[in-house]
This record gives sequence, C-alpha cells and structure tokens, in this order.
Amino acid sequence: MTALIDLVEITKDYGRFRALDDVSLKIESGITGLLGPNGAGKTTLIKVLLGLVKVTSGSGRLLGFELGRQNREIRANVGYMPEDDCYLHGMTGVECVQFVAQLSRLPAVEALRRAHEILDFCGLAQERYRTVETYSTGMRQKLRFAQAIVHDPPVLILDEPTSGLDPEERQVMLNRIRLLARDHGKAVLLCTHILPDVQSISNAVVILARGKVQVADTLAELSRPAKPSLEVRLLGESDRFVEAIRKRGIGIELRTHGGLVLVGAPDQLAPQVWQAASACGVGVRSMTPSRNSLEEIFLNAVRVGGSSD
Amino acid sequence: MTESSKGPTTVLSARSDLTSVPSSRGVNNLGYRGWSDQLVPGWMRWWVITSVGVRRAWQSRWLRRMLVCAWLPAIWFGAGIFVWEQAANNAGWRQFLLPFIYGMPRTSEWDGIRDAIQSANLDSSRHTVWAWLLLSFFRCPQAVLMVMVVGVIAPPLISQDIRSRAFLLYFSRPLTRAEYLFGKVASLWAYLALISTLPALALYLLGILLSPNLSVVYATWDLPLRILGASLVLMLPTSAMALCFSSLTHESRYAGFAWFAVWILGWFTYLAVSAALAINASQEMYASHHYDHYGQPTVTMIPKESAWTHLSPYHTLGRVQQWVFGFVTFNEVLISTAILIAVTLASLGITYHRISAPMRV
Repeated sequence: MTALIDLVEITKDYGRFRALDDVSLKIESGITGLLGPNGAGKTTLIKVLLGLVKVTSGSGRLLGFELGRQNREIRANVGYMPEDDCYLHGMTGVECVQFVAQLSRLPAVEALRRAHEILDFCGLAQERYRTVETYSTGMRQKLRFAQAIVHDPPVLILDEPTSGLDPEERQVMLNRIRLLARDHGKAVLLCTHILPDVQSISNAVVILARGKVQVADTLAELSRPAKPSLEVRLLGESDRFVEAIRKRGIGIELRTHGGLVLVGAPDQLAPQVWQAASACGVGVRSMTPSRNSLEEIFLNAVRVGGSSD
Repeated sequence: MTESSKGPTTVLSARSDLTSVPSSRGVNNLGYRGWSDQLVPGWMRWWVITSVGVRRAWQSRWLRRMLVCAWLPAIWFGAGIFVWEQAANNAGWRQFLLPFIYGMPRTSEWDGIRDAIQSANLDSSRHTVWAWLLLSFFRCPQAVLMVMVVGVIAPPLISQDIRSRAFLLYFSRPLTRAEYLFGKVASLWAYLALISTLPALALYLLGILLSPNLSVVYATWDLPLRILGASLVLMLPTSAMALCFSSLTHESRYAGFAWFAVWILGWFTYLAVSAALAINASQEMYASHHYDHYGQPTVTMIPKESAWTHLSPYHTLGRVQQWVFGFVTFNEVLISTAILIAVTLASLGITYHRISAPMRV
C-alpha cells in the first residue's frame, strides 16, 4: 500500500534549536495518533506537512505531492484543525465556515450550503448565527473542526480536537472522527495529549520525543506484550489459587490492585485457570490476554527518548 | 477528494451514534456527505478575502456616512464644469467665471486660460480647466476623505487577524501570503475607487454631457486615463502604508492612531517649516491672485513647494498628482515619486514580513 504521508530524514532547526531530528515516517490510511510530550516537535511536524515552514533538510510526500514544492496541492487536500484558538473576527459561525470553504475554492453558494450542512454535522445548531467571539471554548472547537472538513479533504490533521470539550461532547467528537475515517475513507492524523482518545479510535500511533520518532507502529502491534501472558481477576480469596497455579509450574505475578498475571500463552493457560479456580472454590471475574497500555508505551518511549540524548 | 468520499452518500451524524432519538435532529441535518463538484478557478482566492473585507467594512455606520459625504463635493465640481461650459456661449457667465480662474495654480497655461475667457475662445483651454477641476477634486475634498475612510477601514484589516490568530486558518488553505495581502489591499482599493475614481469619472462624463458638442471628447480623451493615474497615485502608497500600520499591532486602534498621526503631523510639520522659511524669506514665493470680500483683486504671496513638501504625505501625493494632470513636469516631482515608491515598497515588505512571522515559529 502506498503511504499517504512519507517523510524521509526530515530535520528542522529553529536557529540552534533542533525541533525535528532526522524524522523518517510512513503513515497510511486510517486514524493515526501523533503523541509526544510538550516540545516534542508535533506542531512543527504538522507545519512541515502543511508547508508552513521550510525543512532544514530531508524530503517527503503527502498524498504523492512533494513537501515544499507542491504546498498548494497539499493544502487543498488537507483539512487542518489548529490547536490554537484562532477565528475570523466579527463573523458568524456559518460565515466563517463558508469563508474557509471559499478559500478552498468552493463556489460561494455551494460553500454556504455546505457550511450549513457541516455545522449541522458538528452539532452547532442556532449558534451558527452568532459571532464567533461569543462562542464558548467547546463551540469554537467544533467550529474549527467544521472548518477543517468543510471542503471534504481526504486527509485530516487534527491538533487536540477534544481539548476543552465536556466528556459527552468529547465522545461525540471522537465518534465524528471515527465515522469520517470508517465511512468516508479519511486519513486522520490525530495529535493529542489525551491518550485514551488515541487508544479508543486510532489504528496506529507515532510517538515523538525531542524531535525524534521513538515509536511508529500499529496500536495492535504495540499493545502486544513482550511475553504472552494472561490477566486474571478473582472473586474471593486468591492465596490458594496462586499456590495451585504455582504447583502447576506456571509463573505468576501479583499486581497491586489485586489482579494476577500468569505468564504463558493465553490459549493454554485458560483451561488450567478454570481448573485451579474450581479446585480452590474461587470465582473468575475476568480473564483477558495481557496488553501493553498506551500509557506504558508512551512513558517508555518518552523515557527512551530522554535517555538517548 | 478521495474516491470513497465521492457521491451523495448519506450517513447519520455522529451525534445520532450516541443518542437513540434521531427525531431530535433538524430536518436539514443530513450528516456528513462527500463533495466533489466543480471548483472555482484558483486565481480568484484573493477575491474571497476582498469581498469579505468589503462586506465587513460596510457594516460600519461611520463609513457609510463618509461615503455619502465623499460624493457631495462632486456636485460642487460638477457645477464648476457647468459654469465653464455655459461661459463658452454666454458673456455674462464669462465675467462670473474670471475670479475663479485666479484661484488656479500659476502655471504656463494660466495666462492662456485668462486670455481664452477674455477673448471668448474657451475651447482652447477646456482641457486645462477640466484637468484643474479634476485635480482640485482629487486634492482638496477627496484626499482628505481618503485619509478618513482608510483610517476607518484599514486598521482592523490585518491587526484583527493577528489578534485572533487567524493566519493559521488562512495559510493552511491553498492561499499564498501574496494572495492574502492582495486580497486585503484590494478591499481598500474598492472603497478608495468608490470615493475618488468613480466620482471623478462621473464628473468627466457630466462634463461631456454638458458640453456643446462631442468634439470635446477628442479634446479631453486623455483625462479618464489621468483620473486613473491620479487614483493609482492616491491608492497605492496610502493602502500599502495603512496595511503596514495594521500589521504592526494586534490593536487596531493603535494602527488607526498611527495612520492619522502620520497625516496630521506631516501636514503641520510642513506648514510650520514653510512658515518659518517664509518668515526668514529664504523660500521662493509665488503670487496667488484672488478677489477679496469687496470684489477687489488682491495678491497673496505663497511659498513655493520645496524639499520640505516631502514631510507631508498629503503634499507629496499632491505633487505627483499635479504631474499626472500635466501641471508640472516629471523632473519637478522626481523626488516625490521616488519617495512614494519607496514608501509603498517598504510598507508592502514590512507587511509581508509581519504576516509571514507567525508561521515561522
């Protein structure tokens, strides 16, 4: 499959400060989470993708268009939702969306029709007729999202799309992103600090730290633990169960929150767990193959990125 | 656009994924649909910015009032053309006209105009008189109104985009900085043309309509071109400078203050320096002939425009417009022209730099 975004050894310096250091990356369709601590180079990477800043060295392509040379084509095919609170002063919500649609070369009437349609989709009902200055943080967030998708771009770059939203709106926003990727084939680069958001909707994850790519892989691959294991939670006293498992020659670790981790292939362990539980008279509340949490992956990546400098 | 997004595929909105009450959606809520119709030509992007700039400026009640005022002087100058054309056929009107002729700039053509009136041969001086009327129209009411109109429109044009960080919205679209800048400048030009070029052209047409025959068109065919030239002289440096001020701050009131300060301070500095030089008799004077309140001819000595003219943007613009209408030679306005070009280029350069700056970090 051809990568939507293909970066080769991209380096970007701001004076003496190196914001991106030899970044090579391939991003394919679906939702990709772009993670990294503050100052990791996420925003710089987005600006490089949009052609807003010139790279110091390296090359890359987005949808087959060459970065730095075909910026117009790239921007015409990308919908960008900035993190910053940016808006067009003195205009109503629907005027703002119509305006950016026209900048993306939609005819005026069609831009207005489309603006209304997208604002409906984004959950901005009557607020669309209010000037943007009167919007709450959440409304502005939805407006920026509407502006990003109004011209139906194949690639979306969303910078913190859920920040400032209440829990319900956050879920709705994630559903919108999921829907665009699933039903409309949009490639989404989701840049955020909220790890559960990435975990819930992303197919792949890129983690930047200190300007370098520390991790870039599918979420399924990253979640797979180094050693196969099974997480078990019990109802009742676990001491006898632990002893019974150890007698069967199975490695077991006790977690602080009461969970147990049995080392081995989950398929082979499951029957033995049932047998041991039955013998000890305890109930099995849950039994799932162990997975690395995104938080662990992120912290490990950032730690590695920090120690490598 | 992607293949999958083409076509009118209708899906439920994301909100409906969470709620089990789809009837709560508006009837027009069609969810997300792909869009793949015909795009407008790319070179029209600046027009989007211009049209929005014009519409937003139009919301100002003060601006609308000023535009009405901007057309009122055209009535006065129209009357001037009317009187001139009446004088061509009527001796009484010629006597009425003579005092006004003394108010014209003392040029080589001045004597010719006076002689033409006295000898009832006005056709020979029609071009000069019309040019003088149009120049006066550009200078006295329209240039002053231009300062006020630009002072209302220009300050927020870029400063509000800086304050609301709208550059990311603009430049994440297929829009270049030059297109953005041109779109902003063009919205200023639209209003400047409305208060200067269009009334001046209307005056010219009025003159044609009032003239005895169409041979007047042959005699004055170049005046519309001169009107366009004078308009360009008025619009290019002023709009560039106004946008430059706007780009230097995120508070539009500071930009407005700087704009008016440049014109007012420039004017008064020039007057003060000229007066001081006149008192010391170190400046060349020319005689201005008028009629006083009692109808007696009188002469006022006025200092000739000198290098100090360039302290005042108003007078510098006026000098170049005098050349455009053929009252002075190009050599006489060489420095003024160079200054205006330098101001225009420097202003555009600074503005371009300022709108590029937020993208660099």
